[in-house]
Amino acid sequence: MDPSPGVDKDLAARFAAIVGERHCLSGLAQRMTYESDGLMSLRELPDLVVLPASTDEVVRVVRLAREAGMPVVGRGAGSGLSGGSLPVPGCVVVGMARMKRILEVDLENALVRVEPGVTNLEISRRLAPAGYYYAPDPSSQSVCTIGGNVSENSGGAHCLKYGFTAHHVLGVRLVRFDGSAVDVGGPALDAPGYDLLGLIVGSEGMLGIVTEVVLKVLRKPEATRTFFATFPSTDEAGAAVSAIIASGVVPAAIEMMDRLAIEAAKKATGVDWPDVGAALLMDVDGPVAEAEHTSRNAIGLATAAGALEVRVPHDEAERQLMWKGRKSAFAAVGRISPNYVVQDGVIPRSEIARVLREIDRLTREAGLRVANVFHAGDGNLHPLVLYDARIPGQEKRAEELSGEILRMCVRFGGSITGEHGVGAEKSAYMNDMFSPGDLETMDVVRSAFDPERRFNPGKVIPKPRMCGEASGRLSGDAREPAP
Amino acid sequence: MRAAGLRPGAPNDAIAGVVPRQVFTPSSVEEAARFLGEATRAGRAVAFVGGGTELGLGAPPRDLDTVLRTAGLDRILEHSPADQIVVVEAGLPLAALSRALAAHGQRLALDPPLPERATAGGVLAANTFGPLRTRYGGPRDLVIGVTMVRADGTVAKGGGKVVKNVAGFDLPRMLVGSLGTLGLVARVAFRLHPIPEVVETLRVGGLSGEQVLALVRALRERQLEPSSVTALSSGSGWELAVVFEGFSAGVAQQRDRLVEISRGAGTPFDLLPAGDASAFRVRHDRIRTGPPVRLKVSAPPASFAGGAREAVSRLTAALGGADVVWYPTLGLAFAAGEVAEPARLRPAIDEARADLSRIGGSAVVVSVPDALRPGLDPWGEAKAFGLMQALKQRLDPGARLAPGRFVGGL
Ligand SMILES: Cc1cc2nc3c(=O)[nH]c(=O)nc-3n(C[C@H](O)[C@H](O)[C@H](O)COP(=O)(O)OP(=O)(O)OC[C@H]3O[C@@H](n4cnc5c(N)ncnc54)[C@H](O)[C@@H]3O)c2cc1C
Repeated sequence: MDPSPGVDKDLAARFAAIVGERHCLSGLAQRMTYESDGLMSLRELPDLVVLPASTDEVVRVVRLAREAGMPVVGRGAGSGLSGGSLPVPGCVVVGMARMKRILEVDLENALVRVEPGVTNLEISRRLAPAGYYYAPDPSSQSVCTIGGNVSENSGGAHCLKYGFTAHHVLGVRLVRFDGSAVDVGGPALDAPGYDLLGLIVGSEGMLGIVTEVVLKVLRKPEATRTFFATFPSTDEAGAAVSAIIASGVVPAAIEMMDRLAIEAAKKATGVDWPDVGAALLMDVDGPVAEAEHTSRNAIGLATAAGALEVRVPHDEAERQLMWKGRKSAFAAVGRISPNYVVQDGVIPRSEIARVLREIDRLTREAGLRVANVFHAGDGNLHPLVLYDARIPGQEKRAEELSGEILRMCVRFGGSITGEHGVGAEKSAYMNDMFSPGDLETMDVVRSAFDPERRFNPGKVIPKPRMCGEASGRLSGDAREPAP
Repeated sequence: MRAAGLRPGAPNDAIAGVVPRQVFTPSSVEEAARFLGEATRAGRAVAFVGGGTELGLGAPPRDLDTVLRTAGLDRILEHSPADQIVVVEAGLPLAALSRALAAHGQRLALDPPLPERATAGGVLAANTFGPLRTRYGGPRDLVIGVTMVRADGTVAKGGGKVVKNVAGFDLPRMLVGSLGTLGLVARVAFRLHPIPEVVETLRVGGLSGEQVLALVRALRERQLEPSSVTALSSGSGWELAVVFEGFSAGVAQQRDRLVEISRGAGTPFDLLPAGDASAFRVRHDRIRTGPPVRLKVSAPPASFAGGAREAVSRLTAALGGADVVWYPTLGLAFAAGEVAEPARLRPAIDEARADLSRIGGSAVVVSVPDALRPGLDPWGEAKAFGLMQALKQRLDPGARLAPGRFVGGL
């Protein structure tokens, strides 16, 4: 570990003067709490951590960081799985733990205005009495923040019908590299000019610090119908997914688990699922007649595709338990293996069965185990590669297998990440998916927002492979003044 | 470049009254890229034209040498019905795309007027939409990937061809509404939806604006999921059409509930026979595309009972024979009419913008006769303009792509 001494006393005092002594963390032990996000294999000690309480404090923090020449890394709950909020050497981490108010609930216009540190679930909790909710539902929703969701363009099981974070963000306030705060978007659609909001959502903390967010909220659907179907193998389950989608049904969610994932979920949550090769958990929702019709249809199609058994929950408690089994799958896998790596590559959903067989083959070749639990409706895989770090060489093999799976996703016409982001972890794989021209264009866009590369430098966009291979503008841009 | 793709400009190639020296129609993306790189290196200004259905948007270009038409880029590159995605070249008209998709029971849920002419790239660049935006969103919600050609001829792609994908910056959304000022939209990937089994339209006339909003609120509270909600001005009130789509059982339930809600409110809906539903649609399209002056008003949905209604009234009062299309769930409206007194138009737009800016809204000119353009700002003020300037400057440093067409003279 880097025994970084942190910033000098005078500088720390200046940050402390902005956010308050208690919210400026310069001690080694305090800083160590921030050295990783949810991807624990990557660690870097920040020089300083500050917890501002307002846009104004963020503005002053960014100005001081600029004066001191420090990179700035935004941080929500640190639940990210790609090293997005992993500190970079010499940086100040700007944590959102004190900016978690819901500022406005406007149901006439079906929107809320919130600070970025509020958790995803808190918004739906607040709206529940009125019968509204915030749609994107990452499995981490009880801890992850809206600021993190905006930065990662997070998804969730129910994004199949309702869309991702990008479809639900109406506006943000962004503090830029020079400490200016700008409002982008807002309660009205189609503001004149470029769709900057589209760029900011999913930008992984590289364009500025988000200090306020306006979100669309939805009325709860009238009815939800859920079923759980088991299959001999992922082949039949994959065929069932294809048949359901092809029938014109737009399910709210279809999740797939393979044998190992089912085994883990059973151990962790006590769901009484059978030992089978694969299972699907599916929700359809909407007006009650529509939900009933589509769920009957989907059950018919699952049966025709070879389902062994279809279970329909008797009540809401049983339904919640089924979903708990699914949503706690990551934690559950932790119980059957000391360590795992998880990726979230995407494939065309019609290729699910083929890709899972291929993953199985690669896994056996590597002498490892992989649990698959994923958003099947949109082809967003989550292969959890299990390993034991105490066994020499296993971690490396697990990482290699994980990488091989990502490259396979790209070969099948998919993506290296469907929701977790590229972060620090997958920037090297960007070259598999994008050409130097694509990446240079993204870098140019980034420079328009942050010409000094103040925010989260080194993430997402890979360094050019070698001199001359990518355009020289990549490094030239960094020193250009702001236009 | 092939000579066949190049011809001299003619008056009907004009963009907002500015006639280009020449018109180039590439037959491949590579050809477009080569041409664009050479043109901008030689300092020539280029503007892109698809079907030409939204050329009224924006200011006249400050400088214009070549119009690059995408008409020769009209192929469907990939349609994967099982994955519900399609990849097309930018110049493909939406109607041609719809016909190909319909053979597989699918559609692109974008229904702007003039689909025979409006192209895939054009609707993206102009952010064009129709009533289905109510449920499926607009171009920014349906695009999943693009290939763009930058001013210097660099071909760059963003996104991909799977629905879920967060790798890299979102170039597809960046290009939505950019009106060809950041680069040529060369190829587009969209997510698709199944064609619904049943579509039913319900209509009620003689509503006040408050009644429209009350019905919209009731629709939401009663958990109905219409695919579109569209109001057309009619006399001093509104005619409102609500469309339900899906499987027949669900559509029937929603229809019955809407009828029940509206009876209770004293504004009963009628189920429209298909012919009348398409007549409503025709009238909608005529307002969106016909009158010489058209403005788009955007504001928080509920403000159409207050500030936004004021703004729309100011605009319609300055027009002759004005009509309005209003999408009440979206907070968007188009006011359209003849030029009554030219001198009244600009002050009316200024006043409407002042009303709207107080509630976070905007008024954008969609079309206006060329004679009225001098001195008229078609966009109004843009928030975060400094960032937009920086983006334009980085991607088109020589300002050679449709210079002056966009907000603030970009
Ligand atoms: C068990 C588990 C399950 C998960 N399930 C899902 C899932 O189903 N779907 C899904 O999409 N993700 C999932 N995730 C990943 C993760 O929860 C999401 O990426 C989430 O959005 C991260 O939010 P956070 O508040 O923890 O952000 P962090 O991890 O702290 O940060 C994420 C990124 O956002 C940036 N950032 C944070 N706040 C700001 C701000 N205010 N301004 C600018 N930049 C900021 C950071 O710099 C970083 O780049 C899961 C994670 C875990 C541990």
